[in-house]
Amino acid sequence: MWRLRRLFAKLCALVAPERAERELAREVESHLALMEDEFQKRGMQVDEARAAARRAYGGVEQVKELHREERTFVWLEQTMQDLRYAFRSLWKDPGFTLLAVITLTLGIGINATLFSAYNAVALKPLPVSGPNEVVRLERWFQSGSRGDIQYAFSRAEYESFRTHNRAFSSMVAASWPRPVIEDTPVANRGGTITGQLVSTNYFHDLGIGTRIGRIFTFDLDTSPEIVISSGFWKRRFQSDPNVVGQLIKIKGTAFTVIGVTPEEFTGTSTTPQPPDFWAPLSLEAKVIPGAKELPVQVLARIKPSVLLQRAQAEANLLIQQVAKPDQRDKTTAISLQHTALFGNTEDIRFKALVFALMLIVGMVLMVACANVANMLLARCAGRQREIGVRLALGASRARVVRQFLTESFLLAVLGGTAGLLASVWCTRLLWSSIVQNFLGSFGGGAAFQANLDPDARVLAYAMALSLLTAVVFGLSPALQFSRPDLTTTLKEEGSAWGLRLSRSRMRAFLVAAQAMVSIVLLISTGLLLRGLMRSQAAEPGFDTRNVFLVIEDSGDMAQNAALQGRLAARLQTMPGIRNAALGSFPMMGTWTPPLLVEGSQGRTLASYASDAYLNTLGIAMLRGRNFTAREVSQGAPIAIISEATARRFWPRGDPLGKQLNLDLNFQGKFSKFEVVGIVRDVRFASLSRMDTGHVYLPAAPGDFQGVLFRSHGDAQTAIASARAAVREVDENQLPGLTIASIEDGPLRVQKSLAQTYMVYAAILTLLALTLAAVGIYGVMAYLVNQRAPEIGIRMALGATPATVLTTVVVEGLRPVFVGVALGIAGAAGLSWVLHTTLVFPGSTDFFYGIPFYDPATFLGVSCFLIFVAGVASLVPARRALRVDPMVSLRHE
Amino acid sequence: MATEENGSIKVLQGTLDLIVLRTLATMGPQHAYGISARLKQISDDSLDLNQGTLYPALVRLEQQGWIQGTWGKTENNREAKFYAITRAGLKALDRETQRWRKMAGLVEKLLVAEA
Repeated sequence: MWRLRRLFAKLCALVAPERAERELAREVESHLALMEDEFQKRGMQVDEARAAARRAYGGVEQVKELHREERTFVWLEQTMQDLRYAFRSLWKDPGFTLLAVITLTLGIGINATLFSAYNAVALKPLPVSGPNEVVRLERWFQSGSRGDIQYAFSRAEYESFRTHNRAFSSMVAASWPRPVIEDTPVANRGGTITGQLVSTNYFHDLGIGTRIGRIFTFDLDTSPEIVISSGFWKRRFQSDPNVVGQLIKIKGTAFTVIGVTPEEFTGTSTTPQPPDFWAPLSLEAKVIPGAKELPVQVLARIKPSVLLQRAQAEANLLIQQVAKPDQRDKTTAISLQHTALFGNTEDIRFKALVFALMLIVGMVLMVACANVANMLLARCAGRQREIGVRLALGASRARVVRQFLTESFLLAVLGGTAGLLASVWCTRLLWSSIVQNFLGSFGGGAAFQANLDPDARVLAYAMALSLLTAVVFGLSPALQFSRPDLTTTLKEEGSAWGLRLSRSRMRAFLVAAQAMVSIVLLISTGLLLRGLMRSQAAEPGFDTRNVFLVIEDSGDMAQNAALQGRLAARLQTMPGIRNAALGSFPMMGTWTPPLLVEGSQGRTLASYASDAYLNTLGIAMLRGRNFTAREVSQGAPIAIISEATARRFWPRGDPLGKQLNLDLNFQGKFSKFEVVGIVRDVRFASLSRMDTGHVYLPAAPGDFQGVLFRSHGDAQTAIASARAAVREVDENQLPGLTIASIEDGPLRVQKSLAQTYMVYAAILTLLALTLAAVGIYGVMAYLVNQRAPEIGIRMALGATPATVLTTVVVEGLRPVFVGVALGIAGAAGLSWVLHTTLVFPGSTDFFYGIPFYDPATFLGVSCFLIFVAGVASLVPARRALRVDPMVSLRHE
Repeated sequence: MATEENGSIKVLQGTLDLIVLRTLATMGPQHAYGISARLKQISDDSLDLNQGTLYPALVRLEQQGWIQGTWGKTENNREAKFYAITRAGLKALDRETQRWRKMAGLVEKLLVAEA
């Protein structure tokens, strides 16, 4: 109780210290008076008694200080003092404050933007109740296959998990969103809507309510009911409040709308595309005719009393019991993944990408910090007198450092707040541009939705970053200028010759560091920009304009070899279509099995191809022969290789007729293939670079990814013909069908993604250039300015302007050269590391073939920086030359 | 209590509050000078309280609500701040006294046993 009272009293004393101070002074005064009386009583004179009383009392100010320390929180009081002081001094120097805050805003803003996007995608939990208990089941295959299939479970697996587990309080299943065609579409809506099949407990167990109506009930009644999303409700029903009970007809079945989900529910799928409606799994056949037991994603809620590890162990055990012995690709493990907007954010490749981006924007922040540190240094130099006086009056060094840091913190918090605000807006911009580019031309479907509002995590990140930057840029000036060299500072601004040496060395170090970081940043962004600029003109090396892909969402056809074959055959006869083939789709994923040739092992891209495949794509045969239809239907052990493969594995000999071994299922079992042909190198895996190795194989029926065809003449005719052919072969495939040329499909996605990256790389480069130029210029100009008196003396002693200029500029540039050299080494190292990832044949080359040491970038950037530094030292040096030597001498 | 070279005693950490409370309880309201004079007198000049220790103790006790300061006049018609012990202060004094006795007894016992 009294402790609380004391705390309160101390806090109160903080607010209005004046009254307590007056009271204290009065009390001390009366104490002295009483003592004086006493001494007078003992026979002393008035003056004598007063002096004696003072002596006996001791140091009045010390007593008062001790009183203050007891009365209130001194550190807090001092901090508030420092804050007031910092505010005043920043307010008085608006130019500096504005520049520093803007620099920090840019640095922190760009970091916070990237983090916000990462947070929304990978850290924020799903919009379900108790999200921390909810996990997503992810399976790991023996083959090491990765991607969406890791989240696909069969219905039997789900049921078995549900009945046998003891670690979960509930489990829900949801299919991937599937497009369906509405029978009586509302005008202008195209009629294709997406639906997701979910277990009946889905909404209830995830704790998702409805804004209107109700969720599914548990009874096994299969009356056709659906729940619709907020977006669909607005779009299709114009936010009709009486939507419950209305009907949506799909393939002749009328589904009753029973509820609308809340706005913030963006679905639970691994890609954040909220479907238009949800239907119970039991209605599968009615919603998606022809579908048979679609695979589902499984979410589970762990019982509060169960540890994640135990649940994981149990899941691992259960999957082994469910697994069928004849499974093609065995599941080796299950991991329980904390739910985030995207699946697979734990993937090492995703993490590497995020890390690389973080590194670049981190460098921007470092350059910003270096800039502000140098600006502070220049400012401190002007305040040396003030600091000297404070130290002389008895302020401790720690106190002065604290004062400085308070100012830095204030700057950082201002910059951080502005950066955070800017990032809120920038994140939205970044997201919408990515989404637009990604989905605008190809893939269709609902747009990705993400909750981009900054949460506590983003806030904490931005603030932590600000505080960190404050220490980084504020500590070195604070320590440097608070050295208690009282005499020198009081005498004349520390311009004594002896003292300057160590400080100028410190500044040379700062210049070098700034030059280095700037160079690393400029080269990284420059390389990226130069590479990405090449993306728009890159040619894949085969016909992309007239070759069309028949993509069906369901994947049914891929599993149905007979269907594929029939479709290919039918397409061949349609008007406007030259030829059709079965095989892998270019630029839509890679398959990179280990390859073994006469002892040398490596990875290669591999694709399945029918006999018409190479011809359809327009990949030229250089030597040897193509597959025959008979070989393809038998899945003969033969292969056609690319030039690069031939060069790499048969550097001298002739590969034709030789054997190569491939581990197709990643199980360590190699199968033999005989090389029958060699084809030209193309950019098959991605537009960014030529395939480093590629092997085409005739597949066993059912292994082909899909159907491709080559048009002849008008594209629209060809597409219409293809649709007609699909309708003839299997009408149920129409809803999820996309027919697009390689150019308009995957290639456009790649190009526009590259374009987005390019815009951002350009912004980054511009930012880096500005920051580097401003920073280097500022600090160089300041350093040369400091030498103005010295220049005057040299001139007075008879030096010619030319020699003075040369010395000043050359000396000034020395640390810049050192920094540039170190920066070049660092940037080359970084870029080399990035380039080593390209050894893997499936990875994308963001530099589009620019070598890691690209001379144009390295030279250009270095010259730019040295030029700026040169100008920055030349201009003030020339100004100093014009000053009358006597003036500078007198000043000294 | 540490003994200094000249024979005067430095107050042990934490006992000053007890001493001040006791003084105020027996003597009634006193000003800072009165307290230090009284302590000096009672200890035969061996306890010389530094004002730098007394003032923080007074502010501490006042903030804890154990004593209360009011301005008044001395017999010589000088103005001074008189501190009086409060009801809560009396309770605290009881507590502190008992604690001190326990502590002192324990130390005494130890010293006897070891000697």
